[in-house]
Amino acid sequence: MEEYLEKVKEAVANLELDEVTPLLKEGLEAGIGAVDLLGAMSQGMVKVGELFEKEEYFLADLVLAGEMMKEGLKVLEPHLTETGVEKKGTVVLCTVKGDIHDIGKNLVGTMLTSSGFKVVDLGVDVSEDKVVEAVRSHSAGAVGLSVLLTTMVNSIGDVVSALKSAGLRDQVKIAIGGACTTQELADRMGVDAVGKDAVEAVRIFSSWFN
Amino acid sequence: MSEKHERVVAALELREPDRVPTMDLISEFSTINKILGSKPSVASKLFANPRMGWLLDRVLPYTKNLDIADWEISRFAYHATAAMAELGYDSAWVNYLPVFRYLSSTRVEDIYGRYFDIAFDRVGNLSTPMYRGGLISSQEDWKAWDKRAILRLPERAYRTYKRIQKDFGDKIFIFGIFSFGLFENTWQPMGFERFVVALRKEKEFVRRVIRFHADLQCMGIEAMADAGLPGVLFGDDLAYRSGPILSPRTLEEFYGDAYRRITETAHRLGMKIIMHSCGNTSSLLEWFCDCGFDGVHPLEPTAGMDLASVKQAVGDRICLVGNIDITHILVDATREEVFEAVRQAIKDAGAGGGYILAPDHSHPDMSVERLRWMLEAVERYGRYPLNLEE
Repeated sequence: MEEYLEKVKEAVANLELDEVTPLLKEGLEAGIGAVDLLGAMSQGMVKVGELFEKEEYFLADLVLAGEMMKEGLKVLEPHLTETGVEKKGTVVLCTVKGDIHDIGKNLVGTMLTSSGFKVVDLGVDVSEDKVVEAVRSHSAGAVGLSVLLTTMVNSIGDVVSALKSAGLRDQVKIAIGGACTTQELADRMGVDAVGKDAVEAVRIFSSWFN
Repeated sequence: MSEKHERVVAALELREPDRVPTMDLISEFSTINKILGSKPSVASKLFANPRMGWLLDRVLPYTKNLDIADWEISRFAYHATAAMAELGYDSAWVNYLPVFRYLSSTRVEDIYGRYFDIAFDRVGNLSTPMYRGGLISSQEDWKAWDKRAILRLPERAYRTYKRIQKDFGDKIFIFGIFSFGLFENTWQPMGFERFVVALRKEKEFVRRVIRFHADLQCMGIEAMADAGLPGVLFGDDLAYRSGPILSPRTLEEFYGDAYRRITETAHRLGMKIIMHSCGNTSSLLEWFCDCGFDGVHPLEPTAGMDLASVKQAVGDRICLVGNIDITHILVDATREEVFEAVRQAIKDAGAGGGYILAPDHSHPDMSVERLRWMLEAVERYGRYPLNLEE
């Protein structure tokens, strides 16, 4: 079985687009557990992230790996529900009000899901009230806000204020990411972290839930 | 050749001009209106009025409004050029993109197969539409896509740029932009997730789309040359804040020949051509040089582009354009901060020529007062031989 799982991991890591889904189906038929197969895929994604950080892979490769994960999850999900896999934690994700650029946010969502988080993706152009509602109803431990446009940065502060007003700020950590985000902006808006890319985002959220 | 023209050409040819030249790319109504003292456009008023929404939603789907939108976009390009000439820039990147069709009071699509949300700035002017997704997800969609409006673009470009060049060509060096870039026009109509899969599984399809857009760009450059423009701005966002979206190897494999064909076309017609890509383009700079571009813009400081390092890396091969921050310096900085940013940029990139000072992009909240300070600072620090004493 170890050898088979290694093949799944390598297929993801090497971005072998056509190999992953058949490997997963064959693995399930051969009696390998969906959780083990998901673990192998996640290890492959970790390797993709490492190669991205070494600048051997680029953003398009990261997105391609994300697409492979989505395809793989479609195969595994019915079996995962049966086994009831425990999640690392719940993260609410969205692009802030006024901003609809979602490539980065989607990628972070896919990578967090493959890393074992429950992701509540609220989509794009999301008001602070909806973020508050999602944090409350899902008992989320973290919020990820994506913002590309300089003109929309004040929406980050609106979310922080709304979470404070709802008495939820102390129970959630907030990370921001996107083209116009900087550490200076994070400090000014009162959020806990800024991530430069999806790989760093996974590292940030993982550190908060460990 | 006018003094401004000579100044810009000298910098692009890596010669030392009399002063560091300047460029801007004002692409927002709010900035234009502030400079020219004009009011929001008719279309802005119409779309911003909630009571008109009901009517627009019922009428627009049945109208062929490309020509109406073209009238507005052409007027915008004209006024943007007027605003940049008024402020005293040496050169202007003029955005004329007559590709949008209004579908409703909130939605617009373009002739390439993309759809956008209509956006407004804080004071109710129409702003750059926000990309939402694509309408071409397969080869069959591409084959079936009605391309007649696309093929009319060179004619439209000729008409609008001829008027702009006639009225402003002696006051400012104009870089015309023809449509969107090849990479943007390949991935956006199909969506990024679909595109990265197509790059692996449908290479010939991707190459066909790139070839079509490269042919179109070359025709557009011909049209702009016929209209008398001296320069081309080729905008294609290839990077994001940390680095290139595709690997340099993949870019060369799919886009290298097309890029070279575009720069060769411009040069054969006696035009200068600047490459614009937002994001951190450090690892693509050599490639831009190899592709034959005369200049590279915007070298965004917020994406980690260090102007002195770029000068050292490729300053002897390509003219550097931009690098003045639009998140703080040209929004809410003090006069001293603006002067210092200009002084530092000239210190980093001005030696020996080969630098055009410019904002690194445009957005509705930019301060006209700070643009004026920036131009004042270039007068103070940018005269050759450089004297950068505070």
